[in-house]
Amino acid sequence: MSDGMLRMTVNGRKVAKSAAGRYRLIDFLREELFLTGTKEGCGAGECGTCSVFVDGKLVKSCLMPASKAEGAVIETVEGLASGNDLTPVQRAFHKTGASQCGYCIPGMVMAATSTLRENPDADIEEIKERMGGNICRCTGYTKILEAVELARDILNGKAAPLALEPEPIGESFIGTNVRRIDAPSKVTGKLRYAGDMVFPNMLHMQVLRSPHAHARIVSIDTSAAEALEGVESIITAADVPGTDGFGVFVHDQPIMARDKVRYVGEGIAAVSAESEEIARKALSLIKVEYELLPAVFDAEEAMKEGAVVLHDYAPTNIVKHIPVRKGDIEKGFAEADLVFENTYTTQQVEHAYLEPEAGIGYVDHDGVVTVISPSQNITHHRHMLAGILDLPINKVRCIMSPVGGGFGGKEDMIYQGMLALAAMKTGRPVRLVYTREESITTTAKRHPSRVTLKMGIKNDGTITAVQFKMISDGGAYGMSTEGVMRKAAILSVGPYEYENLQVDTIGVYTNNTPSGAFRTFGGMQAQFATESHLDILAEKLGLDPFEIRRKNMMKAGSLTHTRQRLDTAAIGEVLDVAESFSRWEKGAPTSRGATRGDLGGPDTRQPCTLGARFRKPADNNKKQEVA
Amino acid sequence: MLTFDQYLTPDTLEEALWLWRDAPEGTRLIAGATDILPWAREGRAGDVHLPALIDVTKIQELSGYTVEGGRVRLGANVVYQDFLTDETLRRLLPCMPFCSIWFADDQIREQATLAGNLVNASPAADGTPAVLVLNGSIELARLEDGVVERRTLPVAEFIQGPGRTLMERGEIVTAVTMDALDGYGGSFEKVGHRRSLVISVACVAAVVKTDASGRNFEDVRLGLGGVGPMAVRLTDIEERLKGQPISSELIREACASAADRVASRSRVAYRRRVVPGFVEAAIEDALAHAGAPYRGEHQREIINV
Amino acid sequence: MARWKKGRGVAASWYGIARTATIDRAGAWVELDDGGTAKVVTGVTEIGEGILTVLAQVAAEELGVRPEDVTIGDNDTARSPEAAHAGATRQTYMIGNSVALASRDARSKLDAFLANHWGVSESSIKAFNGFIWSEGTNNRITMEEAVDLCKKNGVVPVGSASFTAFGTGLDPVDGSGAPWQTYVFGCQVAEVEVDTLTGEVQVLGMWAVHDVGRVINPRGVEGQIEGGIVQGLGQALMENYELHNGHTTTPSFSKYILPTALDVPQINCRLVQDIDPKSPLGAKGIGEPALVPTAPAIMNAIYDAIGVRISSLPATPEAILEALQRKAEGEVRLAS
Repeated sequence: MSDGMLRMTVNGRKVAKSAAGRYRLIDFLREELFLTGTKEGCGAGECGTCSVFVDGKLVKSCLMPASKAEGAVIETVEGLASGNDLTPVQRAFHKTGASQCGYCIPGMVMAATSTLRENPDADIEEIKERMGGNICRCTGYTKILEAVELARDILNGKAAPLALEPEPIGESFIGTNVRRIDAPSKVTGKLRYAGDMVFPNMLHMQVLRSPHAHARIVSIDTSAAEALEGVESIITAADVPGTDGFGVFVHDQPIMARDKVRYVGEGIAAVSAESEEIARKALSLIKVEYELLPAVFDAEEAMKEGAVVLHDYAPTNIVKHIPVRKGDIEKGFAEADLVFENTYTTQQVEHAYLEPEAGIGYVDHDGVVTVISPSQNITHHRHMLAGILDLPINKVRCIMSPVGGGFGGKEDMIYQGMLALAAMKTGRPVRLVYTREESITTTAKRHPSRVTLKMGIKNDGTITAVQFKMISDGGAYGMSTEGVMRKAAILSVGPYEYENLQVDTIGVYTNNTPSGAFRTFGGMQAQFATESHLDILAEKLGLDPFEIRRKNMMKAGSLTHTRQRLDTAAIGEVLDVAESFSRWEKGAPTSRGATRGDLGGPDTRQPCTLGARFRKPADNNKKQEVA
Repeated sequence: MLTFDQYLTPDTLEEALWLWRDAPEGTRLIAGATDILPWAREGRAGDVHLPALIDVTKIQELSGYTVEGGRVRLGANVVYQDFLTDETLRRLLPCMPFCSIWFADDQIREQATLAGNLVNASPAADGTPAVLVLNGSIELARLEDGVVERRTLPVAEFIQGPGRTLMERGEIVTAVTMDALDGYGGSFEKVGHRRSLVISVACVAAVVKTDASGRNFEDVRLGLGGVGPMAVRLTDIEERLKGQPISSELIREACASAADRVASRSRVAYRRRVVPGFVEAAIEDALAHAGAPYRGEHQREIINV
Repeated sequence: MARWKKGRGVAASWYGIARTATIDRAGAWVELDDGGTAKVVTGVTEIGEGILTVLAQVAAEELGVRPEDVTIGDNDTARSPEAAHAGATRQTYMIGNSVALASRDARSKLDAFLANHWGVSESSIKAFNGFIWSEGTNNRITMEEAVDLCKKNGVVPVGSASFTAFGTGLDPVDGSGAPWQTYVFGCQVAEVEVDTLTGEVQVLGMWAVHDVGRVINPRGVEGQIEGGIVQGLGQALMENYELHNGHTTTPSFSKYILPTALDVPQINCRLVQDIDPKSPLGAKGIGEPALVPTAPAIMNAIYDAIGVRISSLPATPEAILEALQRKAEGEVRLAS
């Protein structure tokens, strides 16, 4: 490579391209050869979205300097099949519905292919072990593993090729397993997510982020960074032309920190430059002077008199308090044979979609400011951006690119504002792709919660009163907190009808990473408390867990906690089916695991002890061609 | 983000030593490179620019292994996957297959070298306790007046603390040598927060030999990692067991002291609780792999390598 | 004491479908296109849940074409009608019904033309899988021929629709209100094995029973349940975004631990179809509800196995051993 060129054979084709020093194999494949089926999920070898074959061995291409692959034979997901064909592994993924968001799927297909090349007879335990380095956040792995077993049996001749064909059509498409129409594009790596898209003359954005949890911004000096060759523009809150406020319920979040920072990782300035490397270098040249402010990191502390206030509009730090009242709990508790109170807490959880946030902003020929991004809510983003950018709403266009996992985490977003602003300022397309660390440390999380739950119950299992209080840390900005508190309150004490209840959910500002929308929107935190509590009560009263739930469950005609009349409620049928389907052995939840007779059935898996491949005699010669 | 000016791939050890001797300050040697790219990221070293990387994996004399005089000499480029796929290594280094399977996933095992794992001297390195029980030594080469000079150090001495070793400027690891333990049973236990690809909260390596009856300990070697600045051999427990009849009472009693070896600053209570039973389990597994008739209470099933 | 102990636990759940406490809405445009294909344009893109396939099934069913002949336009605020956001377990319910209604609208144009052309009643016209016919007659042609005929007579068979689900806000004082048009219910049973030496918990089996209304695509629903359960399992046992004075100590996947293929239980699904009476499709939803009961079912199973109650998530090996230790100390105190 003395001429600065890298030579490899990639998918059967000899290539020679210039190799910039920093290139990892993944960068070489994606940026020089446009083989974007190889995805970057973490950049640290922890997720497997970038798996490729190098000289016949599957490796994580984010861990390999490109120069290490000099002269090597590389096989990527694009090279597994030719043209529009699919390999048996890819067809099996299509058949079983193994792809959901699809972002991990090229890596999964590669890992599955490698597994069956290494051991064509691999059993399920060995398949899991060999695929253990590839993370999927959507599927729960089940249909992926089913696909690998199916492909194995097809390749082995143990299953007929017909098993890969679509299921026959009956009299309706409703209720049938129509194969996913997006699967072929995902199992081949052809589908382009925002971070895979390239526009001519495109700039690369990097964001300077706050190292402090709470501080006043005294000054921002971007002059040295702007003087760096290759830097096109730098934007800060001062560049925002319109009303700078973003949020689902309260518009309390500027697109970049304005006057003060409220959490570690909050964006302060964004550099657009000719390369990511130059943009990152420019970040280190921006000088920000801070005046540190006292900070609050605990929701209950933040609610106390005299606590640090984050937002002037909310002097109590309370984002939202949702009360729900029904009946008379004092009367209900008085009627109870047993009153029990306990506290339950849940942690902050990361969405961990495999596709980190990414987007491209540009201004089109008609002056329409356009942002392409995996946004779960472009309708709302367009509304917000029109105000922030001070443009008529039809001069702002948001395009939703394929979402590589969302789970609510791509509803509460604001980087689209930075992209739009940078595109307007530079007149060039600008792309921003988050690193995994940036995605984890700066974006919203599942609300942590602390629930205090008190129930009164009669000896026959009838619950007479419920008092439920949830305090939740919303972090530095409002985002979806109000809605999460509302849903948590409405669902709170589960699918049961109570005569007397008092529910309060309270979302609070702190200087922690913001909490936002996350699959269940407060429902799981609340019902974790309720369902744990019911089992404790069932033990105390000697009731079977199904029985205590049936005793109190909602029925058609029931009044919900918010006093909505239900036309229909399937919980009774659901409980009956669950009890028989799981072969449940009746009994109170008295920690009776040691004596149960319903454990270890054929509908359970074996415990995992690593080393599945040792269970068979080693036979390293037995490898097979897996296309 | 890792950037560098030069990527050098010497073909011979001598060439590598010259390059390494003359390399500008900050140059790094790499083999599998599985640690250096994650290191140069946010939350760890951040963006790093290096003048050069010297990749030793093209050096033929650092690959492969030999068995001589009761020792296995592994070239520095031997990767973790080899402990799973090479039958001779599986037989002679009986704790290594189990160590390897816990170490990472197949894709990282294909790249990551044992030598690199030792040189990084991470307190949580899975390789270290396993190499300690195999009485591992590390072989280093350097240039002296233009001539290749070598020295060998026991791994127990070579690793000085977290990230610290006795490697000197200009030195390159050429091999790891270990006892060839034919007839021993080996095991490796690890606990993290999930079943695979996870950093050790604690790990134990064991190799055990019984007498012909299978009822008495002849040799026992135990290594404990992840619970202090450095992996350690549990020689007191080893001595307590050697030559004794195998019994669960003896094993339990001997292992109780292992908790005192926990010297980490975090998760101390947990590690102290786990370690004694963990060492017992490692001994029991190793006994089973050695073919001893003894069955311990910590065992689930026997997997023969 | 045996090292490994097993146990089982159950938890139930409920969930509201579509946006909370508001009037939800979604629009769609549909065209029966040349070659007997169809175009559907609505504000949606796949986030992984399978909505594109569901919409293709719904449009195909209503239009009489094949699912693979349906093209769905990308979500673009300048090119497609508003269908609001991709979340809140509202895609199948809101957009599915909107596409069903828009498809019916487009079909009605074609049916009206054909009824006139064939001299039959509109109600006699049926279509499925690329064919359209008049029942009780021998009039039967391909959808390609039908669209061609229709267009040659000056009619482009297009349709549009808006679907609405009613919800009311909550009273600010007592919280009363009707926040959703429809609800779903679920129940999961977990079987776990606890390693009392290390505190590790493995979930060996899950039985998931969910009411989802009418099922459009059973495999798709199962996929949502399996994914939801594994996310719930992650939160139950290992995931934890930790902060120290506002700085995270878990900034990467080496510190923020996610479940891998080795951690997943065998998942057994059964679907209950309590048909929604308030919408054309009768379907409800499953995206979010699937993970609600998982964590409490696992915690209840851990209690069954080892007699300790984990009320603070996640139940890490450390938390389990600590709880076991406290339990043992408690038992010693009781005995003395």
